[in-house]
Amino acid sequence: MSENWEPKIITFVCNWCTYAGADLAGTSRFKYASNIRIIKTPCSGRIDPMFIVSAFEKGADAVLISGCHPGDCHYNEGNYNARRKFTMMKRLLDTLGVDTRRVVFAWCSASEGIKFSRLVNEVTESIKKLGPYTDYHSLNQEER
Amino acid sequence: MARIGVFVCWCGSNIAETVEVSKVAEVSKSIPGVVYSVDYKYMCSDPGQELVKNAIKEYKLTGVVVASCSPRMHEKTFRKAALEAGLNPYMLEMANIREQCSWVHNNMDEGTQKSIDLVRMMVEKVKRNKPLDDISIPVTKKAMVIGGGVTGIQAALDIASGGIPVVLVEKESSIGGKMSALDETFPTLDCSQCILTPKMVEVAQHPLVQIISYAEIEKLEGFVGNFKATIRKKARYVDVDACTGCGTCWQKCPVKVDSEFEQGLGKRKAIFIPFPQAIPSRPRIDAENCLKLTKDRCGICEKVCPTKAIHYDDKDEFMEVEVGAIVVATGYKIMPVSAFPEYGGGQYPDVVTSLQFERMVCASGPTLGDLKRPSDGKLPETVVFVKCVGSRDPEHYHSYCSKICCMYVAKQTMLYRHKVHHGNCYVFYIDVRSNGKNYEEFVRRAQEQEGAQYIRGRVSSIYKDGDDMVVEGADTLTNSQIKVKCDLVVLATAMEAPDGIKQLAQKLGIGYDQHGFLTEAHPKLRPVETATAGIFLAGCALSPRDIPDSVSEGSAAAAKVLGLLSKDTLDKEGVVAIVNELTCVGCQNCIRVCPYNAIELKDICNRQGELQRQVAHVNPGLCTGCGTCTPSCPSRSIELQGFRDTELYAEINALAEL
Amino acid sequence: MQELVKKAKELIESKEVDLLIGYQSDGEKGAKPLFVKNTQQAEKLIFNQYCLNNLVTYLKRPDVKALKKVAVVAKGCDIRSFVMLLSENQVSRDAIFIIGMTCDHVVSPDGTGENEKCTTCKVHNPHLADVVLGAPVPEKIAKDKPVHYAQLEKLNAMSQEERWAFWQEELSRCIRCYACRQACPLCYCERCIVDFNTPQWIDTRSNPRGNFAWNIVRALHLAGRCINCGECERVCPANIPLMLLNQSLQEEAQEKFAWEAGYDPESQPPLTTFRKEDDEDFIR
Repeated sequence: MSENWEPKIITFVCNWCTYAGADLAGTSRFKYASNIRIIKTPCSGRIDPMFIVSAFEKGADAVLISGCHPGDCHYNEGNYNARRKFTMMKRLLDTLGVDTRRVVFAWCSASEGIKFSRLVNEVTESIKKLGPYTDYHSLNQEER
Repeated sequence: MARIGVFVCWCGSNIAETVEVSKVAEVSKSIPGVVYSVDYKYMCSDPGQELVKNAIKEYKLTGVVVASCSPRMHEKTFRKAALEAGLNPYMLEMANIREQCSWVHNNMDEGTQKSIDLVRMMVEKVKRNKPLDDISIPVTKKAMVIGGGVTGIQAALDIASGGIPVVLVEKESSIGGKMSALDETFPTLDCSQCILTPKMVEVAQHPLVQIISYAEIEKLEGFVGNFKATIRKKARYVDVDACTGCGTCWQKCPVKVDSEFEQGLGKRKAIFIPFPQAIPSRPRIDAENCLKLTKDRCGICEKVCPTKAIHYDDKDEFMEVEVGAIVVATGYKIMPVSAFPEYGGGQYPDVVTSLQFERMVCASGPTLGDLKRPSDGKLPETVVFVKCVGSRDPEHYHSYCSKICCMYVAKQTMLYRHKVHHGNCYVFYIDVRSNGKNYEEFVRRAQEQEGAQYIRGRVSSIYKDGDDMVVEGADTLTNSQIKVKCDLVVLATAMEAPDGIKQLAQKLGIGYDQHGFLTEAHPKLRPVETATAGIFLAGCALSPRDIPDSVSEGSAAAAKVLGLLSKDTLDKEGVVAIVNELTCVGCQNCIRVCPYNAIELKDICNRQGELQRQVAHVNPGLCTGCGTCTPSCPSRSIELQGFRDTELYAEINALAEL
Repeated sequence: MQELVKKAKELIESKEVDLLIGYQSDGEKGAKPLFVKNTQQAEKLIFNQYCLNNLVTYLKRPDVKALKKVAVVAKGCDIRSFVMLLSENQVSRDAIFIIGMTCDHVVSPDGTGENEKCTTCKVHNPHLADVVLGAPVPEKIAKDKPVHYAQLEKLNAMSQEERWAFWQEELSRCIRCYACRQACPLCYCERCIVDFNTPQWIDTRSNPRGNFAWNIVRALHLAGRCINCGECERVCPANIPLMLLNQSLQEEAQEKFAWEAGYDPESQPPLTTFRKEDDEDFIR
């Protein structure tokens, strides 16, 4: 691990709750680690489990996925459907030996700017301890 | 080839303090596809927007990334500017370098690097964006209100007053609903008929309102702005157009049966109007009890009818109406006493529901307002009211509070005492909930000035002892068991969702809760909308409500309908899902996950018209652009425009370069 | 066997079906698919413990779909995949005649003993068949009893690093022949995600990255749908233990969504529905 290595964390959020929560963290000037890159989708229901795979392939050290709390979904049910997909994806990745500490799911509402900033800091800290995800990234190097 | 322009905003010092904006603009130039980049102090200002517009024209930009504040703040502003410069607005994306960068990071290097990354991600996305057109759906400027109680009447009147024609569908033979059976109403004690009848007349006479009574919804097709409803007009055996409502038929009819309107306390004929003020004032024949229809005897009504309006061979008829919006105001029913055997319900005639009590004291009721108990006609000297019967009792009946009982019981104690000045009345209660305008004062008046005696506690049993009824229960304030001998017991039974409501909800494609009450799109912010666009809710169809709340909601739903139908077309963003019919295999995953029932199966036929296969088809009028369908599709055959896989993947892919 | 041949002849002779898919023997200890179009061919029909193939797989083929009516010989386990095809609108119930065979067990793919999948079978006696042939077999497991797969325990007992190493080793043999996909009765898309290049979600080359992504997506697309027929693993030329992934997700569906696939055509696969009270302990 090089001295100045910084984790890359890709974050997929829904537009209505978590993106707005991140905006609130901004307007409230809650400082957090700069390691995350947010990709906005309309709803956590739009977040495809394959995004996680692609993110790791492209060099992410962790993936953070966040949507509205149950009952808060702008589209009523998108997050409930998402929750089932994430349940299955998490089990599958776990079975395959993927380090699921690097795949974090959260609910974060538009009013939870503080939760969002804390979440980012916690995840960044924990990934700094785990180091770069060389196992997964090494899949890119070996060609058979 | 993509020609992308990048516009980096300083936001005064808001961004520029922690992000080296000139460097962001400079580095952006090296991103493949970027042909122009610039930084400016306030990009959202008029000169800033001009900068964007001019660059679009001058550099023939195919896409734009504005790196500034949150798109929630200014996406609309910049997309409008792009449109004005001739660029499709969906070819503009924003990199949020203020809320996600300068305001949350302190370090200039980090802020600058992250800003460059965010710009790079959005450049990669916008390179793959597709121009989208807003969707415009024509609307039928006509509404349907289901339910002709006071809520539905109010909604119909308000919609019609706004110039939109309304079809008001009522399942009984008259409009008026539950309110027409009430005596006086809280907290003002004005007579229910006196305030309702003028409204009934007004709605009936309104040139834009068509009342279809004794009818139900058979089928609903279509979507917001474009519904087609099939209404079943149940066989009435009376030609309502020919009939003048003279009343000869029901005066001569020899059959007497219990009147539903009188809650079984009075009689009606087999050909009848439910109550004298009925609208339309046209009778119907009760086919189950009519001698002609059951035994082919009698036929008097046909003989005496001066206008030949009786038709014994009448059948259910179907009519189709096209409407743009629907208000569901289907109301409630109250639990019958027979549901409570532990309280002697159904066994003792002197245990009645509060709605029966309304008829017993009403001047237009079966006794013309003379209070007589059902068993022997005796004037009840002592009456016990029991609240929360079937409500707030999750173990046995309903968990919810029926909301209006506290108030009408207080009212009924007063109505009783006004009739029987020396009479005693007791109220068994759990709590007194009187949170409405002048409600608390009203209950106080019942207790302090009108002599109602309130006992806090549940009733355990009600039984008969000789001529008397006995109510046993606990007084939890004195911690004692008490027994009250009385002549009449009134149960404030729970309000329930009416029969058939689930079937109706399924026909309409709207949701209902575990109690059968219809569900609103959002309990706080969209209280009269459903998740299905164009269908609105009002009144007790949602949950127990009192008259003021129901009427307010009728008006609120009407306002929503008028807003929806005020324009000739319904315009919405082009962010909707589209199916690739070549690769779709019709597995129905998307149909099942869609929260808006916006997707259905479509038959693909060959030239001979033979079914070849089925594919999913999105109705853009119903699609709200959530994208839940996309990940559910195994063959990637349904794509949400504006958030297509290739666009989001490009953002992920950009990470590899970071 | 007599009754199977008799029934087949009856169906063919009366022209009730255009095609009957069954088994014929393949050596002394083997069986392979047989496509019956006339009564003569029907004579060759057999059913025994070597009839491993899930013939329901053939129902997803366009040329079979084009026929008016097809009969298929199916064990209870195979019928579970038919139930999923029904639920997912891939077959019309009227277009298929199911000849259900009672079955105590079939052999393991290497022919050495009882197939492991039969130890968790709840449908020795076929459900949802048009006709059931063979003597009834006592069911050993109650319908509502959750199924546990013994071979998963070893995998679950490993550390995360060991599992990673295990799968990297196993998947390194994948040659991306897609036999798993072809044999699976529920992989019926006409355009597979792996053949899709806008975007190219999955590297199509046989390399560690592509192999890993492919096997993730394959298992994920079967999540809540796989009925444990084991055909993917049986046909894999590289002997990759693919069923471990499928079974892990089957257990997850049972534990989290109280769901087992392939019994009720009226019910919705778990990833196309939800309960508000679904478990969410893993979500912060």
